[in-house]
Amino acid sequence: MQFPYPRKSSMPTPYTTPRTSSHTRRRNLRALAPYLLGGITLIWLLIYLFSGSTTDPATYRPPGTPEAVIVTTLSPKMSESYRRNIKENRQDYASRHGYATFFPNTTDYDLMPNSPESWSTIPSLRHAMTLYPHTPWLFYLTNTALIMNPKESLTDKVTAPRKLESLMITDKPVVPPDSVIKTFSHVRGERIDFVLSQDREGLAGGSILIRTGEWAKYFLDAWYDPLYRSYNFQKAEGHALEHIVQWHGTVLAKLALVPQRILNSYTRETGGGSSEGLYQEGDFVANFHGCQRDSSRDCEEEMDPLMARWRELRDQERKR
Amino acid sequence: MPAPQAFGFEYNSRDELVYPVVSNAFEASNIASGTATSQHRRRSSRGAHVPPEGLVNGHGSKSIGGPTRTTFDTIPYEDDESAVRREYNGRGLDMSLDHSPSPSRGGGWSSPGLTTPFEDTNGGARSRSPAVKHYGDLHSGQSSGGSGVTWASAKERSARVNGYPRYQSQNEGFFTRHYRNISEGLPYFAHGGQEDRYAEKEKLGRGRIGGNGFNVAELPRRVGLLMSRRRKYVALVLLMVVGLCIWFNDALTHTWRRTSFLGGGSKFVIILGANQGGGVMEWKGPREWAIERDSVRNKKKYAANWGYELEIVDMSTKKRYAHEWRESWEKVDVIRNAMRKYPDAEWFWWLDLNTFIMEPTYSLQHHIFNSLDTTTYRDINDYNPLHIQHPPNGTSGDPNSPKYQNYLDELTSSPVGDGKPNSINLIVPQDCGGFNLGSFFVRRSAWTDRLLDIWWDPVFYEQKHMEWEHKEQDALEYVYTNQPWIRGHVAFIPQRYVNAFPSGACGDDRGLPDAGCNAFMREAVRLEKLGQSSVNLDMKECGVQGIHYQEKERDFVVNMAGCEWGRDCWGEMYNFRQLSNRLNRNRWEKFKDWVHDSWQARKKPQPQKGSQQKQ
Repeated sequence: MQFPYPRKSSMPTPYTTPRTSSHTRRRNLRALAPYLLGGITLIWLLIYLFSGSTTDPATYRPPGTPEAVIVTTLSPKMSESYRRNIKENRQDYASRHGYATFFPNTTDYDLMPNSPESWSTIPSLRHAMTLYPHTPWLFYLTNTALIMNPKESLTDKVTAPRKLESLMITDKPVVPPDSVIKTFSHVRGERIDFVLSQDREGLAGGSILIRTGEWAKYFLDAWYDPLYRSYNFQKAEGHALEHIVQWHGTVLAKLALVPQRILNSYTRETGGGSSEGLYQEGDFVANFHGCQRDSSRDCEEEMDPLMARWRELRDQERKR
Repeated sequence: MPAPQAFGFEYNSRDELVYPVVSNAFEASNIASGTATSQHRRRSSRGAHVPPEGLVNGHGSKSIGGPTRTTFDTIPYEDDESAVRREYNGRGLDMSLDHSPSPSRGGGWSSPGLTTPFEDTNGGARSRSPAVKHYGDLHSGQSSGGSGVTWASAKERSARVNGYPRYQSQNEGFFTRHYRNISEGLPYFAHGGQEDRYAEKEKLGRGRIGGNGFNVAELPRRVGLLMSRRRKYVALVLLMVVGLCIWFNDALTHTWRRTSFLGGGSKFVIILGANQGGGVMEWKGPREWAIERDSVRNKKKYAANWGYELEIVDMSTKKRYAHEWRESWEKVDVIRNAMRKYPDAEWFWWLDLNTFIMEPTYSLQHHIFNSLDTTTYRDINDYNPLHIQHPPNGTSGDPNSPKYQNYLDELTSSPVGDGKPNSINLIVPQDCGGFNLGSFFVRRSAWTDRLLDIWWDPVFYEQKHMEWEHKEQDALEYVYTNQPWIRGHVAFIPQRYVNAFPSGACGDDRGLPDAGCNAFMREAVRLEKLGQSSVNLDMKECGVQGIHYQEKERDFVVNMAGCEWGRDCWGEMYNFRQLSNRLNRNRWEKFKDWVHDSWQARKKPQPQKGSQQKQ
């Protein structure tokens, strides 16, 4: 198309389409689409790759964090050698598996007046959790017990979920012989936050595994409630524990009972020991249960043979 | 070239007169073709008409030679007379047009035979051709033609002619027909590349609006584009969508507000404890029934409006809770049940029966949850009527006791928890005496499960049931004080936000400062910035200290707490209901009331005047 004379306007000619038509625009888009998609994917990939390193603070574990903390409360009444033996025993086990140890005094915490010092177990566990915030497991071992077989780590022995599932005693009355409250029959090992065993009388609180986290805070704080402390439970925190386990489903749901000899073999049948729970050579823990409460028994004296045996075993291993 | 079109025109005018009612197209065409032959002959003999007549004549006869038959002979005579009459009149008008046919009304040229073929080839470029106009236009045209040819017959004939397609063979939809009318109404019309010629002319020298970028000034044009032929379906669909939206406005709003990822209403459950203490303990009188009815209706309306779930629970005394230890502990079980019943809900709002939502236009999201960090406070020291030691440090706080270890972790001993709004799981208002559970919020979480679990414990209750007058409320205060794990997830909310008291509950209303609360809060902030204490300011009912309902501030919910002890529950409920209705009138109601009030105001003085006159 031609015009007879030049156009006055400096604008583009009217007969050329100045604006790309929708068709060409669409065609351009189609050509560009792969590049656009590629670009977006690349950006997403970069973001994904670089943000992957920032982890959830709840599960974040800085390198060098011990896998577990062994907590034992020491009473000022205990003799110096007794204390040293206990510490040595724990530290040996901890050093083998890269665990940490924590030995607070029973008098460190503000228990209410007139409440037995055994209640200090609970704040000490809470304290350990504060000191090792990223450690996944707390292992409480009472000061009347010795670790006799330090070869196996806690993970291999108990806390690995599949292992735990195989050990768990399900559908068992929490407090023997006939509590109506029974342990859950189907719980996955990952969901368990609280592992302990039973003796003949009830829950054996001398050797406990607790997974740290929000639930542990709840459980320990609830267990340590002043009204439980002031209630005069016959066995203090032990009965309080049995009480909350039976009355509060959120605690029971996290609980796993394991056979007594896995965690807490007793050296004597008296004072709650049953024949299945009696210590045999090779068991993980030997607990001189009741030696403190019974005035006729002396814990340190009772411990001596096994302490000697433990040293023997350790030295044998070192020689090898 | 044949010009059957002109044919049709000429005779159409006649046709209309002679056969006003054409009931059947076939019949009509028969009649028309019959008359046409005779007519032509007569006309040519007269020889008094315009040049194209010869053409018309020849072709006319030719085309008629086809399948048509002359059947009705009688009709043309009758026809003739009127034809002559009309012919005469018509020619009088047409005289001046004989040699230069002028454009007809609709545009284009009416001279038959010559113009049509040309226009036909030109197509749409000259759309204002005689072909477009039909029928009515022709009255002004020549009426010199013969008689009896109907429009329908002519059309039929014209369709038969080869090489002469019907004028507009495509796009005969609504939009094409009214295309011009629509587009002429727009300032200028951009379509394809063509329109730029016009656009340019109009704003010569002003420069072009640049590029493809969006421009507000171009909006009308863009709307026009949207309405253009190519996008008419888009426009239609849009129109339909808009229409549907308007039609289903209420339903759509409700759906929008409910949907979890839009309004999120289904994430909130209102639990209303009805029938409190009913059953064994007391009989309900008419006033109690009225309270219940009003309260339930109020919440129902509110929940329906915002798409929340409403769970009305029967709190009547049951045997299960009749034991001394279990009295009034249903709350926990009720919340648990509600959580089970509404598995997708997040927040659960407990409301006592003696509450009234004063401002149904406030949504929970907007009022509280969208800005949890500002509407709530985590540190109980901000307002601490119970003097709870906070933050916890693992000791009893007795200054005479020996130094003990603080065994609590950093997060637990922080006064505000982690400070993030999404760690809040319980929102409780505080009245003058501590926590108030007449209206509180609980969020579904593992933490909440634990709290609901530990809230009631037989060992606690056995030791405390004599002291704990408010049962679960006192128990909550107790566990909050003594179990540090709870602190980090509880937030407090100023009482007036969700649970305002009427004057008389918790002391009397202290009123608002004259300058209003906002001015006061600003002043407090200013003083704190200067490093001075704002304690000396009399906050009255402002901020966290505010407890009593303030009409001026349009408080959200009123809780007639404790009205069953010596106050008039129904009276208070009634007054608050009326007040709420009055505050939330729409414009029309306000106008009506204004008219009514001014009328009353005018009427009032008159009797006074009258009485004065009488005196």
